[in-house]
Amino acid sequence: MAGAPTPRVVSGQLALLIPVGSDTYAVALETVREVVVDPRVTQLPTSPAVVRGVFNLRGDIVPLLDTGLLLGLRPVTEEPYAVLVETPHGTAGLVATDMPLTVRLNESVGRSDIEGTTETYLVADARLAVALDIPVLLSPARIAQ
Amino acid sequence: MSPQESLSENDFQRLFAMEAEGRLDALVDQLLELEKGGATPEVVAALFREAHTIKGGAAVVGMPHVARVAHALEDLLEEVRRERRGVDTALIDAVLAGVDAIRTLIPLAVAGQEHEEAAFDAEQRLRIAVGGPPVVADKAAAAPDVAVPAPSSPAPSPVAPPVPPLASPAVPEPGPPPAPAPEHHPADGSLEAHGAADGAAGHAEPARATATEMLQIPVHRIDELVRLIGEASAATLRLGSALLERLERDPSSLTEYRDLIRSLNELQELALHARMIPVMSLAPRLRRAVRDLARETGKEVRFETRGEDAEIDRGVLERLADPLLHLVRNAVDHGVEAPDERRRIGKPAEGTVRLHAMQLGSEVVIAVSDDGRGIDITRVRETAGRTDHSAIEMDDEAALYLIFRSGLTTATKVTGVSGRGVGLDAVRASLNAVRGRIEVRSDPGIGTEFRIAVPITMTTLRCLVIKAGGQAFAIPLHSVRAVLPPQPSAMVGGRAMTMLDGRPVPISSLSAVLGTGNGSHGPAVVVAGLTRSHAFTVDELVDQRDVVVKGLGELLPRLPAVAGAGVQPDGSILLVLEAAGLIERARRMDGGDRSQEAASGGGHEEPVPQPAASILVVDDALTVRELQRSIFENAGYRVRVAVNGEEALAEISHERPDLVLTDVQMPRMDGFELTEAIRKQAALASLPVIILTSRGSDEDRRRGLECGADGYIVKSGFDQSALLSAVERLLGADR
Repeated sequence: MAGAPTPRVVSGQLALLIPVGSDTYAVALETVREVVVDPRVTQLPTSPAVVRGVFNLRGDIVPLLDTGLLLGLRPVTEEPYAVLVETPHGTAGLVATDMPLTVRLNESVGRSDIEGTTETYLVADARLAVALDIPVLLSPARIAQ
Repeated sequence: MSPQESLSENDFQRLFAMEAEGRLDALVDQLLELEKGGATPEVVAALFREAHTIKGGAAVVGMPHVARVAHALEDLLEEVRRERRGVDTALIDAVLAGVDAIRTLIPLAVAGQEHEEAAFDAEQRLRIAVGGPPVVADKAAAAPDVAVPAPSSPAPSPVAPPVPPLASPAVPEPGPPPAPAPEHHPADGSLEAHGAADGAAGHAEPARATATEMLQIPVHRIDELVRLIGEASAATLRLGSALLERLERDPSSLTEYRDLIRSLNELQELALHARMIPVMSLAPRLRRAVRDLARETGKEVRFETRGEDAEIDRGVLERLADPLLHLVRNAVDHGVEAPDERRRIGKPAEGTVRLHAMQLGSEVVIAVSDDGRGIDITRVRETAGRTDHSAIEMDDEAALYLIFRSGLTTATKVTGVSGRGVGLDAVRASLNAVRGRIEVRSDPGIGTEFRIAVPITMTTLRCLVIKAGGQAFAIPLHSVRAVLPPQPSAMVGGRAMTMLDGRPVPISSLSAVLGTGNGSHGPAVVVAGLTRSHAFTVDELVDQRDVVVKGLGELLPRLPAVAGAGVQPDGSILLVLEAAGLIERARRMDGGDRSQEAASGGGHEEPVPQPAASILVVDDALTVRELQRSIFENAGYRVRVAVNGEEALAEISHERPDLVLTDVQMPRMDGFELTEAIRKQAALASLPVIILTSRGSDEDRRRGLECGADGYIVKSGFDQSALLSAVERLLGADR
């Protein structure tokens, strides 16, 4: 996709950790616009399952996406946090099931083989965080699937 | 296609010239009748019809200036027809002068000579003739006056037309208007001032507006008016459900209730209309941009406009200003070649950039076209291919749309205005904000056309708010045909049906169709798509509201059943549903049994390889008829023609066409009567009917839809593709 290249996660960089169920994902902090606590979500009937709904961000209508389903994993059951990320196609919210935190990433411990992700990093508490590839993950084509 | 049927626009102009000659003669005959025998309704109606037909013909063959004069003539005669203006010598003189002006203008238009100023002057004279002293607050003053005195001030010179060129188009003010002077901006030269007059005086209610007085009203007052009317409608709706619940009386069975609803709807439409302004009010700005840029780049460019009738919500138009400015500049900068290059390849040195607006259903289509070099697709593909390899593989059509990507430019040098690759993506983004779409077509060496389609009103879409599956949804009111109390439904061939106006209509639960619930047993809302109606049961009716509809963004796929969403005052989001998509979804879910649809009037299925569809064109004007015949035959349709409603009915009974396209004003049986007659026949219930008219009044539109037409198109130009796409849409949806 054209447009300003979306920054990807690299080691040594500040990243936001997005807890989803028992997993943790990471996005480059500079792609994050803000984190909304307890977004008021309106269901969007007839939309693909990954779309949890839409919510109002100061007058803008922003889609909220199921981070788990987007990765082909288990869907989330609640949406206590929405991490707003900038994509080449506008702002979108990713569900976090626990409070997102900012960390500086260490060296990558290996590639992740889930589509739409890049590397795996070791973060605090011996947890692994998988870096999300935002332009791939949040493309209209992928969402429409 | 036989050669004489593939006529050029100029051939049609000549054909029209011949036809108009006859009509103008008839008009003069009738006029003398009027002078002798007074104003019988028949004579006045005949006069009006002739003027109207001339206007329509002129617009259709691309003579906008002639059309404007005929439009003014029509408006003047309309005042007489509505008994708002009496018949006197001044009127007869004015009409005669108008007739002569049209006679003079048509040959000029055919020859491609300048006649805009002369037309403008003739138009103004006619407008002035409308204003007699009693037309101050038209409705209040209209009724009692039968013999209206002649306009006191500048009566048009008896048989006028050698119209002098216009130095400053200041409008002589008739009578003593107390209000601020009529909206005119004689600011910068006659051309610009003319454009401004188009914009400000408008064509919505030009007769009274230009000639009498204009009130400048702050927009917020109109907004307030719209809001209050909305509240009144909502209260009425609640009253209706109270009647139903407490007294078990179906409110729609009460004439008084229906009258109230109808009046409120009319009031609302009128108030919403007050916010509309002509698309062409942007023309002066664009013309100036073209002129400046042409000078800067050493090009010769003529700027043409068409579609003076098309109107759009002021809020929408404001947002279109920048995108249009951008497209027009692109056309001059990228499209039109330098004069010597044009000469070398056999084009006239002067290039043309055209702005063309047309109302099509609830949308306005605005085209910006040029006759320049076209878009170099190979280059687009190469440029885009540097960052995206899939671009190399794309076919031409897909590759063309790469120009809307950000950062893409094929201009070899960056000029002050374009070539930086920022722009078309911004154009698309601005259009998204008003729920608009953009399309592009380009022929190498011949030119490029960008088409923008935007809803006429976007700032506010009047909606019925309902609840289904516990969630509130808005349904645009223009697609709501009726609201029914909880309905008994019968299963007919595996499909639930209910009755509306004695006809079966499929009925589904809205929440089931949307997949948000199992079903509702409350009232039913009957919505109408392009070709069919469908009833949806909901939990409850909430109210009516103006919703500012926004798109859902680029990231989400298009959801046919969802038109957009609005942010409510309490911060919640209200989804706005789209009738056509909803109906389509309901039908697909009903799936299996389609055999009942023919009986339901819902439509008919045909095998996929379709035979050429047949279209019946009904119009009393020879030019329009032949023009349409040529358009549709060239597009591969079979075409039959009829000159009025009666003849059309005979044709239909002889062989059922796939679609009827009819004019409104016709002798013997007009388009509305024809539509009604078609709808009365059960076998023809699903026959799509499009009313094509040059009169875009709300009253006509409403009548058109009330009598059962599937589409109502205002013709204001030689716009084949818009007409074709409307027809294809109807046939496509129905086949």
